[in-house]
Amino acid sequence: MSATVIETTGLTKTFPMPAGPVTALRDVSFSVAPDEYVAVTGPSGCGKSTLLHLLGSVDTATSGTLLFDGRDISALPDAERSRIRLTQIGFVFQRFYLLPMLTAWENVELPQGEAGASKAERRARTAELLDYVGLSQRARHRPSQLSGGEMQRVAIARAIANRPRLLLADEPTGELDRSTGEQIAELLDRVHADGNAIVVVTHDPAIAARAKRRLEMRDGEIVAEASA
Amino acid sequence: MNSFYFAWRSLFRQPVRAALAIAGVAAIGALLFDMLLLSQGMLISFRDLLDDVGFDIRIMATASTPISGPRMADAAATAAAVEALPEIDAVVPMRIGQARIVGPDSVNLTLIGSVTSSRDAWTVVEGVDLDAIVGSDHPPLVINRNVAEELALVPGATVTVRSECSERYSVLPTVDFVVSGIAEFPFDPVDQMTAAVAMPDFDRACGSVMDEADVFLVASRAGEYPEMAVKAITRLRPDLHAYSNAQLVDRFQQVGFSYFRQISTVLATITLFFAFLLISALLTVSVNQRFAEIAALRALGFSRRRIATDLLWESILMVGTGGLLALPLGLALATWLDRILKAMPGLPGDLHFFVLHPAAVATYVALLSTAGVLAAAYPVFLASRLPMASTLRNEVVG
Repeated sequence: MSATVIETTGLTKTFPMPAGPVTALRDVSFSVAPDEYVAVTGPSGCGKSTLLHLLGSVDTATSGTLLFDGRDISALPDAERSRIRLTQIGFVFQRFYLLPMLTAWENVELPQGEAGASKAERRARTAELLDYVGLSQRARHRPSQLSGGEMQRVAIARAIANRPRLLLADEPTGELDRSTGEQIAELLDRVHADGNAIVVVTHDPAIAARAKRRLEMRDGEIVAEASA
Repeated sequence: MNSFYFAWRSLFRQPVRAALAIAGVAAIGALLFDMLLLSQGMLISFRDLLDDVGFDIRIMATASTPISGPRMADAAATAAAVEALPEIDAVVPMRIGQARIVGPDSVNLTLIGSVTSSRDAWTVVEGVDLDAIVGSDHPPLVINRNVAEELALVPGATVTVRSECSERYSVLPTVDFVVSGIAEFPFDPVDQMTAAVAMPDFDRACGSVMDEADVFLVASRAGEYPEMAVKAITRLRPDLHAYSNAQLVDRFQQVGFSYFRQISTVLATITLFFAFLLISALLTVSVNQRFAEIAALRALGFSRRRIATDLLWESILMVGTGGLLALPLGLALATWLDRILKAMPGLPGDLHFFVLHPAAVATYVALLSTAGVLAAAYPVFLASRLPMASTLRNEVVG
């Protein structure tokens, strides 16, 4: 097992645009250790989400290398990258993206089934996770019957369902009020304390303050780094 | 959660939309099913009619239909010669003419003259057949149900018939017949008045012994192929035209039936195209509305194959449910349309335009399944090739 979960070198992402190519990420190099909690901050459009998408292998860099657990995943076929995302990377989105036709239980169970977990394993893990995020009583509710904070807690339970090595969160409190955002931040703290590496992209200084390491981005580059 | 169950939940997340989509597929499926029933229905019905009569070969003087062409001369000798062939079991010469039952209530009818045999071209449903009447003052006659109801006749009643079959006499003398039975004639149109008598009595009603026949109904010997018997007849009498039932159906298919086949083929193709467009549009709209959700699933690690399989199942569920509902709907529609088309004058009452047959069901299933799979191709392509990052970014920005 590598000493870093993720390691980038010279990561650059350029988008072709009608008015000419736009470089959203410029020569970004950094790494995340297995027990780290990293916050990426910066103004809108500075490349935070682009960086997160590259780290999560939902997009590919124009140049540079990305090692996940010591392995260059950018060159892997799509099916293998999907498998890595499924089993080793968890995603938490700003807008939750729970499946509206499934209950909270089913949303948490879904990625486990896709990863090949047995029915008994899924049942035990889903019950454990809903208890972990404090939603055991809401297991049979659909997303439309949950509050924003509850939906994000279900989304976090779903993200860690397959015990990933890395949790990526893109503005996880962006759609929530301050008090609910605090609850989500506390939940992420617990997830980190339980041994997950976390990279969170946020505008929220309160969330960023909880991370042990903060990366400040501007114009597609990491311009500052601070550790708590 | 497997793909099938996931697709089921996805499809019915909006029950009204799913119901409307399925109803649309059912309506188009019913039309497609009816076109397939029509494309072969009349042919199958015609073949069944020919087979049900109990004769598998017809001999005529020309290639035209009976009555419309010239008659065959030396009918008795010809029938005997054909019947003597080893491939042949029975030959029944028939004459077909016009006659009138005269009296206080009179009707015009088609009069059939036939050599009485153990095989008849009709089925007695009340009373007895011609050869069962012995010692009566009048020769026997069987009538169809229309004549019986029109003139309130029952077996045992006497009728006076004036034939119109002579080329020599403008008015023939009347002949009294006793009604021996009421029979069903398989080729009778719905409102047709028909009666049948023995050939000598037909000659008598026509005023002369003509020894002619419009058609020979021939039964080949059991175990013989009718086509072989047709060849034997043609060798014996190359001047006559013999056709097996299958050959008659082929002729019918090429001449009388091609119109319906072409119409149904064109309509079936258009219907299939509409089915393709409908399914494709519904799935594409559904996928477009779920771009962010699909991108998120991909980001969570769902493979392209899994996304494609989910959508394919969704299409199969929509097409399968709609397609199943289309079967009873199509059958009900076919029954209604059949009744309308059968009202056309001159068609045998037992002839149907829409006939349910296994090949039509199999073709329907194959065509609709193919349309469902092909229609899913574009939305599947859209979903499985969806750029995750830009879709998620656009969704948040939007």
